[in-house]
Amino acid sequence: MAAVTDTAMSQPAPRIRKERFWYPYLLIAPTMITLVIVSLIPFLYAIYLSFHKAKYGRVGDFIWFDNYAGLLADERFWSAISTAGIFVAIAVPVEFMLGLAGAMVLNHGVRGRSVLVPLLFIPTMMAPIVVGLLWKIMLAGSWGFISYNVLERFGILGETSIFASPHLALGALIFVDIWQWTPFMMLAFFAGLQALPLGPYRAAAVDGANGAQIFFRLTLPMMSPLLAVIGLLRLIDAFKVFDTVFILTGGGPGIATESPSVLAYKMTFEFWNIGEASALAVLVWIAFFVFCNAFYQIAKKRLNAF
Amino acid sequence: MKIGNSAVIALSMAALLAGSSSAALAADFSYAEAAKPYAGKTIRVLDEVTPLQEVLAKIVPEFTKETGIKVEYELLNHGEVINKGQADMLSGRGYYDAVMLHGFQMGQMLEAKALRPIDDLVKNPALSNAKLETADFIEKPYKTVAFHEGQQYGFINWNYNTVYWTRADLMGDASEKTAFKAKYGYDLAPAKTIEQMRDIAEFFTRKKGEALAGQPLASDFYGITFEGIKGQGALFNFVSNILRNYGGDIIDADGKPTFDSPATVEALKMYADLWKFAPPGTAEYSLIDVPTVMGNGIAAQAIAFSDFVLGVDKPGASPLAGKFTYGAIPVKAGMDSKFASADAEPSLTVISANSQNPEPTFLFLQWLVEKKQQEALLDAGAGGVPVRESSWAMPVMNDGNLKPLFGAMKASLQVAQAKPRMPLYLEIADALSAVVQKVGLRQLTPEQGAKEGQKVLVGLCDAKCTL
Repeated sequence: MAAVTDTAMSQPAPRIRKERFWYPYLLIAPTMITLVIVSLIPFLYAIYLSFHKAKYGRVGDFIWFDNYAGLLADERFWSAISTAGIFVAIAVPVEFMLGLAGAMVLNHGVRGRSVLVPLLFIPTMMAPIVVGLLWKIMLAGSWGFISYNVLERFGILGETSIFASPHLALGALIFVDIWQWTPFMMLAFFAGLQALPLGPYRAAAVDGANGAQIFFRLTLPMMSPLLAVIGLLRLIDAFKVFDTVFILTGGGPGIATESPSVLAYKMTFEFWNIGEASALAVLVWIAFFVFCNAFYQIAKKRLNAF
Repeated sequence: MKIGNSAVIALSMAALLAGSSSAALAADFSYAEAAKPYAGKTIRVLDEVTPLQEVLAKIVPEFTKETGIKVEYELLNHGEVINKGQADMLSGRGYYDAVMLHGFQMGQMLEAKALRPIDDLVKNPALSNAKLETADFIEKPYKTVAFHEGQQYGFINWNYNTVYWTRADLMGDASEKTAFKAKYGYDLAPAKTIEQMRDIAEFFTRKKGEALAGQPLASDFYGITFEGIKGQGALFNFVSNILRNYGGDIIDADGKPTFDSPATVEALKMYADLWKFAPPGTAEYSLIDVPTVMGNGIAAQAIAFSDFVLGVDKPGASPLAGKFTYGAIPVKAGMDSKFASADAEPSLTVISANSQNPEPTFLFLQWLVEKKQQEALLDAGAGGVPVRESSWAMPVMNDGNLKPLFGAMKASLQVAQAKPRMPLYLEIADALSAVVQKVGLRQLTPEQGAKEGQKVLVGLCDAKCTL
């Protein structure tokens, strides 16, 4: 045993790297090949389409930036971006804060935690289409369970209904997103809290730190890499919201709740304007690429994440 | 040119022989014989799933038994049929030989040259069933959906249509009748005109606690319900059921936008008025919500697709089943009957331009719309939406409680037509329906709505919206 260890230790590290330099590449090859096939090639094709006149699934002439220019001049595109921006700006911070607060409560030990934690998974485990249908049944004007029995019975909404009012409809979509994703945030943060080392907390207790000091000076800094990653993932996911919007409002009333994903769907499968839909996808990707890179750099330097 | 007697006789004989041989062919036509060259082939057909098609799926194997042609009959929901079917035809893949196409899709598909005309197949005596009795198809929907610029693209397979739907129990209630007559000066009865429909809507719109047919209401009750969600369904509920009855339209015969007409303003005024008596959720109501509202007993009248009514007015589906009655879509009082209009979605099954099996597919399409199959379909479904005039006389359409519904369907289909052939149909419907919805929600006046709608149309298709 000792001989084996000695032999292993006697081999110079650079030589290993030189002889087996291909080994790491071999290990990541299946993933990379899969990514190239299912992600990169379609994406490159979308870029190609965005520079062509592509109607009815047939690729026509190369038209330079015409699809992009048309899109950027279209009020509907900006409305969709603005809708998604409002959606993300409200839903994600609320989910984040509620999730963190809930995780802290769970971490302090609540009775029946073993029952509560699996229950919290339920909204997150539901398919978005089911979530949409569930809330449609709850909130549909005049026949939804809550609308009929509560909102209209007590005259809360007056002459309108939730999905018929632009502001209420967007509010309802945000509410549904919060309902679905807060438990996920809570559980992810709870897992992070459970993994924190106890040593710093014992030291803080010895030093007489209060609850707020412990949270802001210990918990938050130690949790920040996880918070950054989860927050970023949720933000990207929320911006892409499609299913619940499609089921609950279809983007309406008017275009009040139309997200970029719903607009892209309509451009592709209703209007068959695939060139412009591809341009939309590329623009959204560029925006996220820039944002995520900035976020990555900041998180890396300031939060010690990644 | 002078032709001799012998030549005339020869020509007459030839014509007679040709006539008699085609007559013989017509008399002798059998699917088994016509399908012999194609026996063992498989055709793929994509259709939309509704209770009617589920019944049809059970009949389809009979075709295989009769012809030896295998049919992969796939049923998908409305959206998927449109997406998957169109994508297949437009991509040139040709996986499906035939796809169910709603009338509104025709503009896009014709522009993309994705459909195979069937005129050569219709003219081929070896394939064409001369006993198909196409004259028996309900004429206006058939002629407007299956033909374009002199070419035929299919037969008519589905005749989805809207009907006027109301509560017989309320219309017959003595106290309501007396109160209505006192207020409006005429007898309460299912509406025949749009004005009557509006009066009835106003009359029955009541708040919680007020009495309805002598009983206190536990929640608000509404005079009317109809589709109001943004999209082509709600738009054409307005265009076909109201605007055309006022003599207006979104485009003229040449396809030029005509939305800013006085008729549009008047029709929008009535439309906005009707919204006042409709449930608060009207702006989110699709064709599915309307029957739900009626089935739950919170509205007095509706304009709804008749095939959805079939799912509500049956024992067990609604506590009000059997208490409904139906009528033709109300018309504008005093207007010439030529303007009478009802919304419908006549649909056909088309052969893809990329189909490798147009002949056996054509045989199947003929077989589907044959009188025998159509009658079997209606019998098996205990009624339904017919495509043939002769189906109205069937016992199943006349003996049950739904006789008034089938009568209403018949009236609607007499004046119903397919949607205009607009390549930008869905863009137009998407944008214009938002304008019409805003008028309903009182965010625009009818005058502003007419102007805004015209701007939308001109912006999208300039001077011509049709092919």
